[in-house]
Amino acid sequence: MSTPRKLSMKKRYSALTRDLDWTPTYVDPKAVFPYTSFEGITIHDWSKWEDPFRLTVDSYFKYQAEKDKRLYAVLDGFAQSQGHLSLTDARYLNAMKLFIQGVTPLEYAAHRHFAFLSRFYDGPGPRFAAQCQSVDELRHTQTEVHTLSTYNKYYGGMHNWPEQFDRVWYLSVPKSYFEDAMSAGPFEFLIAISFSFEYLLTNLLFVPFMSGASFNGDLPTMTFGFSAQSDESRHMTLGLEAIKFLLEQDEANVPIVQEWIDKWFWRGYRLVALIAQMLDYMLPRKVMSWKESFELYFEEQMLGGLFPDLEFYGITKPRHVEQAIAEKDLLSHQVYWTLYQFSFAAGFTTTVPEADHLDWLSANYPETFDKYFRPLWDKAKKIQDDGGRFFFQGLPQLCQVCQVPMLFTEPGDPTTLAQRQVVHEGERYDFCSDGCQWIFEREPEKYVQAWLPVHQIFQGNCGGPSVPEVLAWYGLQDGDAGEYLGSVDHQNWERWHDHAASADVEAPVGSEPAEARA
Amino acid sequence: MTTSDARVRMVGVDLQENDDSRAIVDALEEDNPDAVISRMPGLVRVRCPQRLVVNQASVERHLGRAWETHEFQLSIVSYFGHIDEWDDDEIVVAWDH
Amino acid sequence: MSVRAIGAYAFPSRSRQELYGDDQLVHVWWRNNRFLCAAATFRAPKAMTWADFRAALMDPWAASDPDFDPASPAEWTVDGAPLVPRDDQTLEQLGVGHKSLLSFAG
Repeated sequence: MSTPRKLSMKKRYSALTRDLDWTPTYVDPKAVFPYTSFEGITIHDWSKWEDPFRLTVDSYFKYQAEKDKRLYAVLDGFAQSQGHLSLTDARYLNAMKLFIQGVTPLEYAAHRHFAFLSRFYDGPGPRFAAQCQSVDELRHTQTEVHTLSTYNKYYGGMHNWPEQFDRVWYLSVPKSYFEDAMSAGPFEFLIAISFSFEYLLTNLLFVPFMSGASFNGDLPTMTFGFSAQSDESRHMTLGLEAIKFLLEQDEANVPIVQEWIDKWFWRGYRLVALIAQMLDYMLPRKVMSWKESFELYFEEQMLGGLFPDLEFYGITKPRHVEQAIAEKDLLSHQVYWTLYQFSFAAGFTTTVPEADHLDWLSANYPETFDKYFRPLWDKAKKIQDDGGRFFFQGLPQLCQVCQVPMLFTEPGDPTTLAQRQVVHEGERYDFCSDGCQWIFEREPEKYVQAWLPVHQIFQGNCGGPSVPEVLAWYGLQDGDAGEYLGSVDHQNWERWHDHAASADVEAPVGSEPAEARA
Repeated sequence: MTTSDARVRMVGVDLQENDDSRAIVDALEEDNPDAVISRMPGLVRVRCPQRLVVNQASVERHLGRAWETHEFQLSIVSYFGHIDEWDDDEIVVAWDH
Repeated sequence: MSVRAIGAYAFPSRSRQELYGDDQLVHVWWRNNRFLCAAATFRAPKAMTWADFRAALMDPWAASDPDFDPASPAEWTVDGAPLVPRDDQTLEQLGVGHKSLLSFAG
């Protein structure tokens, strides 16, 4: 009598995933899978989809549960030891406020959309991969909430993130980005999110936050980061497999995929502008500059590593990538300078960088910082020293596509704001760049529907015509917004660390932000 | 199509800095002679030209306990390259073209 | 229709002028000022005079910069074309339409 043999990993994976698939016999397959032909993508053989991880449900849940246990043990220890007092500084948490407001909702949206995809792809391979990713993304949502709940007890800005995601002006940047993907077809979503976001740009998003956490005493976020990144390695694999599968299935897919890469690189790049400023301005203890991060994680690893691999299929570097490279000396500065003057309406605080921080910026950006940006900070500091606080007394012009305030400058001229306008069906639309204009002109029917926060405020859809009414509609509480120095977080931090009351703790007497004009 | 330039492209894995990863890194060094190990806060980075192999038997030997390749998921933070193979006996990270 | 869709896909602009009644959105760009991070967007009646637009909307915003001198704005353009505004002219008369871009050096 022979002893039962264990199936190899390859056979086991097949038996428990793909071999459970069937071809419908009494229903038209097109009725079962109605979304996978309208994009013009041709698939000849779904069985060619490779899933290198070969996870089955039992090993999936076993190892995910183990990861959760390890994370929650750390969160408990941190809470029990009052770990938040060991952060480098309370102002660090502005980065994590931005994270829970702008990143966590994207995890939840990804969870929902991968669940949808796990039903509607024709092939069992990608269906199962999407199923795992859907559960992963829900796990990320939950673990992020638990990770940051320890800070929510003591610091502002984190208590109302689900509602704020749908309402607050800067959060329409990630929201519109993801909804653009969710309202696209299943193959575009795969290239937009699984490839362009979870592979191409993922390290630019994740490593700054997690290293920033590690450098600034934020043990929970750092541990969450390591825990989630092991899932991300599967997501990256899905992204790379997705693009290779589509390119290999039919040559006619190549130009479609190329255009999606062009679009989604640019949309993702504009989104990570929020990360650039976080890395250079919001971390009391710095990890690396945005410029260094971009050079390593994008130029070297992606342009230098991945794209040569994709050349085999006829794929070229993303359109407008040269502008992103040229902007690396400017991006973080332009974005934080903007957030500084608008934080009266944000769920986080901003402040003039201190002297050593300004010197770090000079050292890391020798071509641009002292020339273009230090003078701005010197002037803002003077206003502060005179008892004021510089804020933009009005609402900014927004880009129709990326929805970021039009703070970017002309390629080659950092002193001139970039302005692009297109008239479509008799109406003018504004864009921050050639990249966003190109995206609009490809699919204007989508972007004319943009819910632009500034325009919506002016239409009266955001609680009222005045700034206080809009902030109330955002659900901001006292201390969430504005200047860091003298804020509730700052005052608490000083008290909890037994620092003697000093002039620094007084809130600078600032000019009140003007009411938004109706 | 590949060009004729001789530039070598690196592949790599980033592992969490913990007890188990120490043994895994030892196994990787043994099985990948051209591997370069570097350490960053909380992370160990293993880089290799073109191809990196994680051998189940080597890891198990270094760990001193049973270890299956699926367990690599508990250590991996990130990887760079393409996962060519993930089997009971080995995991291979490489570039295709 | 450029966008690929599973059916008819035609939706109105969420910021079309009719949603603002007799008003419109106007952008103002202070070209040679980098202290203000971006151009500003205002909601203004089409029949608003230039003087009122300056006094009620544009100047208070420009004064966010403490060095703003209300007498200084010059070299006006509207949608890229040169503009010489008179205080008694309305925005409509000046050719300022919905989401038009005014710019000046000051």
